[in-house]
Amino acid sequence: MKIQGNQTITAPREKVFRVLVDPQAIARLLPGCEELEPAGADTYDVKLKLGIAALSGSYQGTVKLAEQRPPERLRLEVTSRGPWGFADGAGTLELEEKKGKTLVHYAGEVKVGGMIASIGQRLLEGAARLVIGQFFKNLEKEASA
Amino acid sequence: MMTKTRWVGKPLKRKEDPRLIQGLAHYVDDLALPGLRYAAIVRSPHAHARILGIRFAAALESPGVVAVLTGEDIRGKLGMVPVAADLPELKVPPHPPLALDKVRYVGEPVAVVVGDSRYRARDAAELVEVDYEPLPAVTNPEKALEKNSPLVHEQFKTNQACLWKLEGGFPDKAFKQAHRIVRQRFTNQRLIPVAMEPRGVVAQYDAGEELLTVWSSTQIPHLLRTQIAAMLGVPEMRVRVIAPEVGGGFGSKLNVYGEEALVAHLAMKLGRPVKWIESRRENFLSTIHGRDQINEVEVAVKRDGTLLALRCRIVADLGAYHQLLTPAIPTLTGLLLLGAYKIPAVKIEYVGVFTNKMATDAYRGAGRPEATFLIERMMDLVAMELKQDPAEIRLKNFPQPKDFPYATPTGVIYDSGDYAAALKKALAQVGYKKLRQEQKRLWKQGRYLGVGLSSYVEICAMGPSSQMPAGGWESATVRIEPTGKVTVLTGSSPHGQGQETSFAQLVAEELGLTPDDVIVIHGDTKAVPYGIGTFGSRATAVGGTAVYLSLQKLKQKLTRMAAHLLGVAPEQVVIGEGELFVKGKPRQAKKFLEVVQAAYVAKTLPPGFEPGLEATSFFEPSNFTFPFGTHVCVVEVERETGDVHIRRYVAVDDCGRVINPLLVDGQVHGGIVQSIGQALFEEAVYDENGQLVTGELMDYAIPRAWDVPRFETSRTVTPSPVNPMGVKGVGEAGTIGATPAVVNAVVDALRPLGIRDIAMPLKRERLWELFQKKRAR
Repeated sequence: MKIQGNQTITAPREKVFRVLVDPQAIARLLPGCEELEPAGADTYDVKLKLGIAALSGSYQGTVKLAEQRPPERLRLEVTSRGPWGFADGAGTLELEEKKGKTLVHYAGEVKVGGMIASIGQRLLEGAARLVIGQFFKNLEKEASA
Repeated sequence: MMTKTRWVGKPLKRKEDPRLIQGLAHYVDDLALPGLRYAAIVRSPHAHARILGIRFAAALESPGVVAVLTGEDIRGKLGMVPVAADLPELKVPPHPPLALDKVRYVGEPVAVVVGDSRYRARDAAELVEVDYEPLPAVTNPEKALEKNSPLVHEQFKTNQACLWKLEGGFPDKAFKQAHRIVRQRFTNQRLIPVAMEPRGVVAQYDAGEELLTVWSSTQIPHLLRTQIAAMLGVPEMRVRVIAPEVGGGFGSKLNVYGEEALVAHLAMKLGRPVKWIESRRENFLSTIHGRDQINEVEVAVKRDGTLLALRCRIVADLGAYHQLLTPAIPTLTGLLLLGAYKIPAVKIEYVGVFTNKMATDAYRGAGRPEATFLIERMMDLVAMELKQDPAEIRLKNFPQPKDFPYATPTGVIYDSGDYAAALKKALAQVGYKKLRQEQKRLWKQGRYLGVGLSSYVEICAMGPSSQMPAGGWESATVRIEPTGKVTVLTGSSPHGQGQETSFAQLVAEELGLTPDDVIVIHGDTKAVPYGIGTFGSRATAVGGTAVYLSLQKLKQKLTRMAAHLLGVAPEQVVIGEGELFVKGKPRQAKKFLEVVQAAYVAKTLPPGFEPGLEATSFFEPSNFTFPFGTHVCVVEVERETGDVHIRRYVAVDDCGRVINPLLVDGQVHGGIVQSIGQALFEEAVYDENGQLVTGELMDYAIPRAWDVPRFETSRTVTPSPVNPMGVKGVGEAGTIGATPAVVNAVVDALRPLGIRDIAMPLKRERLWELFQKKRAR
């Protein structure tokens, strides 16, 4: 599933970028994130509690800040697996300066497997929108603080 | 054969039904045993991945859990899942019951958790953590044949599992001489059998008796016993397999699954009975699928519509591993591809391909629905291109009754038939000419009425052992008990087909009793002599014939005993209702019971007469049987919604002599419904990553009651010369005959749009789009 869109954050680009690469902040950005532990260069082990209707549960995974070009570009790679299968995603965030605010363009792809794929497909887009919306809401809160 | 018909041919209600409809029947899951443990299986969420490690300490510590096993625990201890299909140069990959090192399809078993309740086992299964290294997957069989494709089994260096060729007559010459060549590419899409009862296994090991008992929802208890014994390394006589009530199989339980051996292994290892019941979602992922062929067909025809030759390339998606008959199924497509027509030349190439999907195997019709779909669609395309009537083109190419037995260039011999009679009867019943007039009238009004024909023939009563992977005969023991009641033990394993009734009718007919005097026992290897099982429309024609032959042996004994008691020669004795009497002297009679008791108490016996009344027969058929018929489907397609309304459905089937017409109708009805499913609704879809996206009944549409019309069924009767009763079999006629009738009807309805072919399933959105495109033009 492809994901694409943009979102304005009411904070300067440098600030937004700093938040996005700060492990403490990431833990607060990721919806349902219960734990985030460093695991190598720019990689973190995470525990997430996700809720996609019948597929809710605890998921374990990794977050990798794969590419960093401050303050304009960041590539994120996320893996997660749980009782209902797995959801892996990779995407880029491009930060554009807009009169003291930041316009974040995001584009990526999510791969799911197991029960999430076989019964969750039709819930997936909605769930992804929800998770992304939550992520940016958290980002707004962190960056404008 | 029978001259009287007191019972045979009568529409008796099924003896099975009262227990089934009152909830008194016992399925595997109904089995409660003291100390029962429950297994839950951890399955791969990846279509292709290396297993880097499995962590199950948390699962093992979970409350109630008694064992967790992974592939490593069974390596070398449990044999591979067997494949019985035998094709030249077939590639057979190892297929362990729990994945070793790699997984190759979503749903492949990776570990098993055993707990003291089903819920605890399932909860603990979620705690098993498997580290996978995902690998690229291939799900499209044509792409899988390309050089740069990911390999499902690296050791073969190719995804081609087999290549099978068949040639008869002079096809290439015929194509050169043809006035016209009609070509079409088709897809027989992947289907999911969806038996009402998913699979289930219970196993118990009695250490004192050294006896392993396995209850499984299977169509082949004896074959399963042989294979389980081999996989476990247990002597076969120490294994008992019981198929209790089986809630539908459709071929999906004509198999040996890893779970069957795995659960047995667990029961032996733990010293406790173990139960595993497949969930519906597991059933979608990991019980065999059906069909899945891509077919390029071309036929050579003369200007007048006479067929000269057929060529076809079959690319069959076999999935990741072979199940019992996986690679053999498309060969049946090849053997039947000429359908009900005299086509003198044929050339077929079948390529079997490994992909990262669940295995395909026999699903009701098993290779023959595919063939019938192809030839019947081609007949309509030939008619369309030559501007002839589809009925006429069929009539022109049928073999005539005098041509039987008819040897086809594919190498099979059609036993008997009058194909034109069935077609004409169907046309008369549906009112074909009037329908064509109505169609023209409605087209002018912008309404889309279509009439679809399918004149099918099928290969049934499987079959001569020379043509079968594991024997094609069937066994039956008939025992007249000392009280005059009769026990039939059949090697067939009916699971909805109704042989408890039809075999009782046979016994009643032959012995002058009533069906209530008879019980038919099946599905227990401890009780029943070795048998092959129920599939391939064989239970009546092969299994029933074994019963019939045993009855003849018993009749001989009965008449000898009666003659002895009456003081006449055996040839003078006739079996009547509840008695045996002297021919022409009905008053000189002995009650049936009296004769039976005399055979048991054995005070006075005819010379050389063995006491008791029990006979066993093994019937080996000399050929398959070839039922046939014509189905006519009348549809109206709704322009605004793409909905297909089936207005009429006329089925004229010929399954030879009929023992119970109600059972025949039931089989035809069910088969047509599944055919409508393939034509209009059903499609198992894997995405490019190998995820099954039609993983439940929300996404995989099977027909509902309101999707099917009232069926108008009738018959012609052409006895088979292959067995003494003249029966042919009818278990798959509906699924073999009906799909092309429905598709032909829809395509016919849309002729004004310039439509030539529509890929199955003919979903309403697909048809709606066709109308929109037409409108846009």
